[in-house]
Amino acid sequence: MALLENDDLAPIGVLEGISHRGRPWVDLAAQYGVTNPDPPWKVTLDATCDILAAESCARIDGRVEASEPVLPALERRSEEDELAATVYAGVPFPERQLLALAHSLIRRGLFDEEELARRMERVHERLTSA
Amino acid sequence: MAKVLGEKKGAAHGHEGEHPPAPMVDEVSDFEVLEMAVRELAIEKGLFTAEDHRRWTEYVHSLGPLPAARLVAKAWLDPEFKKLAVNDGVKASLKVGVDWIKSPPTQFGTPSDYCNLRVLEDTPKLKHVVVCTLCSCYPRPILGQSPEWYRTPAYRRRLVRWPRQVLSEFGLQLPPDVEIRVADSNQKTRYMVLPVRPAGTEGWTEEQLAEIVTRDCMIGVAVPKPGVTSNVKMPVHRAVHPLQHGHS
Amino acid sequence: MSKVHHDRTHHAKKATGIGDPQCFKGEAGKPKFKAGDSVRIRDLPDFFYTRCQTYTRGVVGTVTLAVYESPAAEDEAWDNTDKPEWFYSVKFRQKDLWPDYPSAYPNDTVETEFSERWLEKA
Repeated sequence: MALLENDDLAPIGVLEGISHRGRPWVDLAAQYGVTNPDPPWKVTLDATCDILAAESCARIDGRVEASEPVLPALERRSEEDELAATVYAGVPFPERQLLALAHSLIRRGLFDEEELARRMERVHERLTSA
Repeated sequence: MAKVLGEKKGAAHGHEGEHPPAPMVDEVSDFEVLEMAVRELAIEKGLFTAEDHRRWTEYVHSLGPLPAARLVAKAWLDPEFKKLAVNDGVKASLKVGVDWIKSPPTQFGTPSDYCNLRVLEDTPKLKHVVVCTLCSCYPRPILGQSPEWYRTPAYRRRLVRWPRQVLSEFGLQLPPDVEIRVADSNQKTRYMVLPVRPAGTEGWTEEQLAEIVTRDCMIGVAVPKPGVTSNVKMPVHRAVHPLQHGHS
Repeated sequence: MSKVHHDRTHHAKKATGIGDPQCFKGEAGKPKFKAGDSVRIRDLPDFFYTRCQTYTRGVVGTVTLAVYESPAAEDEAWDNTDKPEWFYSVKFRQKDLWPDYPSAYPNDTVETEFSERWLEKA
């Protein structure tokens, strides 16, 4: 069972940075007068959480192997609760759900901080070029 | 540039004869970038495919509380359907277009919602209210995504311990001899409440009835009332960003 | 290194169109308890993972329903799905759960589910 240990709840640099400087939807919506209660990425985030909690079957060299979910729902939610009370205290919802997900995935070694930082740069570039 | 369209707000500004543009969030937030980056990395690492993710997004996007409201309205109008709803929630869901098993992309239910809906029938002497103390399980396929307050440790820990206090915070008070039954969905069953049909709704159509059955009524923290078609306004306990300066 | 190909085909137990917990129907044999039975929640040791809430341990309640058959959550978490159990919905009086629950509300209850291993006759 891949429950995180205490160490794993320690801050992760890249995510800490986002939690401090990122502008949550509650502020953006207020500033721009948008009344949608949720940011547009909330639905895709929920889909990601669902899909990571699902069992899947992988075919490796012709054998079908049932694989465990990458991140079961109960584990993800427990970690989210812990992180929301500690490292990401003060971050609104659903931003803290997103940060907790990224945190859980990094701690499980599915990608690392540097990879995430690099990818974020590329995504930011793509979204802000005209 | 990523933009989000919102509803119109406030008076027109700008040129005569032109409709003001709908408000849009005109900047890219770090969170928007983070969500996309996480998703792309996950796809690259083979955790899921882009196509699977698109299908799940479509499914999640399709979920909302209307089918559950219609189930309640139908149960109020038809005693036979009410019996079906109470005895076999999954079968009754089919009548409002919700297939707990085959609607999700897995064709097998979702990993967190499973396929065992129980509809809890209130009576004048029995009031149900739903919680998941372990993690915030919720009957999403028929009721849509859960509200934020439902997921908080504050609600989850307090409702099972001090239900009357929590309900009064939602504006709901019940006589002391009424049985308040807290249903804690800790395993594979997902619960929704079938509230008592209120007075003043005689002769109403299914549509009219469904309109007053809000999401909060089906969680059990509110009761349906003629004329009330929106959820309870919670006091806003938003976490204020610690480094915010100068924003309203 | 061989490429992992993710396939949405489900393995034998989970045929599409059947659903969970429906797919375990008939696998748990005869239920030990029935509606109306008085049961006590056993305080079994938790090996890292359980769905049996602490607040119910040692408390006596009444079975309202035998709900479905499924592997116990504690087994399913470790991928042991060979021995499904019957699951029961059990109702407790609030005054039995919390000694200081206000006596002004004598009828309040909590209802929640347990797999058979967690219950003993009371």
